[in-house]
Amino acid sequence: MTLKLDSLRALDEIYKALDDNILQAALSRASYNNQVKVTEILASRPEIASLAIEVREIKRRSIMKLEELIDQAISSLKAAKANPYYASSVEDARSIIGRIVGSNKLVILSKSMAAAELDLRSYLESQGNEVWETDLGEFLIQLEGVKPMHTIAPAVHMTREKALILLKGKLKIDVKEDTIESIANTAREFLRSKIIRADIGITGANALAADTGTIVTVENESNIRLVSSIPPVTIAIVPIDKIVPTLLDAVKVAIIQAAYAGLYPPTYINIVTGPSSTADIEQTRVYGAQGPKELHVILLDNGRLNAKSNPLLGEQLYCIRCGRCSFECPVWVHTANYWGGPVYGGPMGIIWTAITIDPIEAGKLAYLCLQCGRCDESCPVGIRLSYILRYLKTIAISGSMSKL
Amino acid sequence: MPLNPLEVVRLIEDNMKRYGFPFPIPADAIYSWAKPLGLPARGSPMLYTGALYQLMPYIASIVESLAKIEGSSVSVMALRVSRFLPGFLTGLVVKPRGEFQVYSESILRSIVKLLKTSGVNVAYPYEGDLYSGVLLYDLGLDELFREQALKVYKALKERGATTVITVDPHTTHILRSIYPRYIDGFDLEVKSYLEVLAESGFKPGYSIHRDVVIHDPCLYARFENIVDQPRNLLASIGVKYLEPRRTRRMTYCCGGPIEGLAPKMAKAIASSRLKELVEKSKSIVTLCPICYSNLKAVAGDDIEIIDIALLLSGEKS
Repeated sequence: MTLKLDSLRALDEIYKALDDNILQAALSRASYNNQVKVTEILASRPEIASLAIEVREIKRRSIMKLEELIDQAISSLKAAKANPYYASSVEDARSIIGRIVGSNKLVILSKSMAAAELDLRSYLESQGNEVWETDLGEFLIQLEGVKPMHTIAPAVHMTREKALILLKGKLKIDVKEDTIESIANTAREFLRSKIIRADIGITGANALAADTGTIVTVENESNIRLVSSIPPVTIAIVPIDKIVPTLLDAVKVAIIQAAYAGLYPPTYINIVTGPSSTADIEQTRVYGAQGPKELHVILLDNGRLNAKSNPLLGEQLYCIRCGRCSFECPVWVHTANYWGGPVYGGPMGIIWTAITIDPIEAGKLAYLCLQCGRCDESCPVGIRLSYILRYLKTIAISGSMSKL
Repeated sequence: MPLNPLEVVRLIEDNMKRYGFPFPIPADAIYSWAKPLGLPARGSPMLYTGALYQLMPYIASIVESLAKIEGSSVSVMALRVSRFLPGFLTGLVVKPRGEFQVYSESILRSIVKLLKTSGVNVAYPYEGDLYSGVLLYDLGLDELFREQALKVYKALKERGATTVITVDPHTTHILRSIYPRYIDGFDLEVKSYLEVLAESGFKPGYSIHRDVVIHDPCLYARFENIVDQPRNLLASIGVKYLEPRRTRRMTYCCGGPIEGLAPKMAKAIASSRLKELVEKSKSIVTLCPICYSNLKAVAGDDIEIIDIALLLSGEKS
């Protein structure tokens, strides 16, 4: 059940991907469209690039005092009546979440790479729960049984024909027309019936404000809104690198993530501080109004504090997961997230795999990196991805973490 | 079947230890191009090629062999065997691509001529024109790279160099931006010949009226800030350069850096880039021998790829 990376097997997958003409065409179109969109956003709104520089500084300072921010976030979450937990490892996180969820529950997930890091869907299913992804792309991935192919566009490899086959084949649902609208509608109807009855909703986070314990997420489907507000119990999985000092900082991170992902203005930014409550009667606050009665927040370490002590790997903790480095990478555009690990992929993904799973196997995959530096040039928070990837090669070839 | 990257890296490491070059190449193949020019062996500025142009004809033929192994079903095993039978792979690569070798040497001679026209007379280290170690750095062979960098530094210093003029983006970057991190007290001034020409007020007294599309190499554009110089030089002789969709600091890689590790992927990347370049012109100017070789490998006969030195010197017009 532990996620592993076998680099030679991954290379086989990559070579299969190279021969898949439909995938190659889809990736080439997606990366072209994304490049055009982000370029337009940046050209028409010069304030975005300045805000990105500010976010870079926020992230740099946050990671520098990460341990302190973790403690502050835990106190703030408690003050907001949320239940914080610190999970050092995948196993820790699974067992905490497993205890909250129990079995025979209906669980809905919003797309979360942190949940993927835990292979949470399979884990919860193995505990006897019914689990559904609510993001359309991630839902199709769930039906297909593969890993997310891009950090913000998990189904970047998907065509409408394939989506139709999945809906008909796996769910026995007849889609009326073979249009993308019709596919989206069918998924919407199916997922609504699950969302409305769900016992537990699980989200990720774009940022967590240490001063208020506020979770900030950004999206365009509105599924995160539903997942974080309809079920009576909600859980947010927050990798510790997402903690920033203030709520304002957290919102800035979300805006920059959306803009560099090519979604600006974002349709929704959600701000959640603790469970829902009301003080309408006698000005006495009770928890559990229309939103959840309980909010559990899992602070996930999984190799991150360890990475922080390494000057190059530590830089990856600034990452806001916009996935722009992938769309700009000449290798990724031929491989999607097959080039990566079981969870992440692309330039940032190889490094996240090194941090969360295995630096040596990740380093072997880093050998496909051209060191061309388009990722460095594109990263809104200024991570020197190509330098870190080269460093991973030194780890792979020497078989150990070398001194910097 | 994919090649095992670590096996290819070990092969390069073996070659480096054995021959002083990442691929077997006769020592005089590095400097024979310079013999007729009578350049002094000591002095400054010193022209240092780092052997990349000279190695490319050999690398092109090795990549062809690796691509064959990659295309077969025995790749990983074959390369594993090669560690015990070094002749298996090295035997395949003795022959450089003849026409490519002539081309590389004519580029190097053009560069010397261009510098001379601009009043810059260079010394040349001949057998001291060692391999820069750029591939060792790129492949994460840090200790071997450090040793090689020290050898190169010593060879240049003891021949009286204070300023070093480089001829390709990889050697420029490694000497100027990476060597100082590995060599205490590194004090050579490093400039690409394109920077030297641009600063010297290059005025060759001839014009070449033609349209070309410019392909910036990644390392010049993103790491060494050499973007305007080649454009100004082309404009100064009347060449009209067109910009591809992805250009200047956001230029797109030719795939070359992984040509030996994943030839098939490198070709796919080169083809994507070539398509984009050809949308603007069927005459493509390259500034790097690796870009030249990789784009050339996927280009049809109707597409012309020209090294900027040959265009500037009027040898290809």
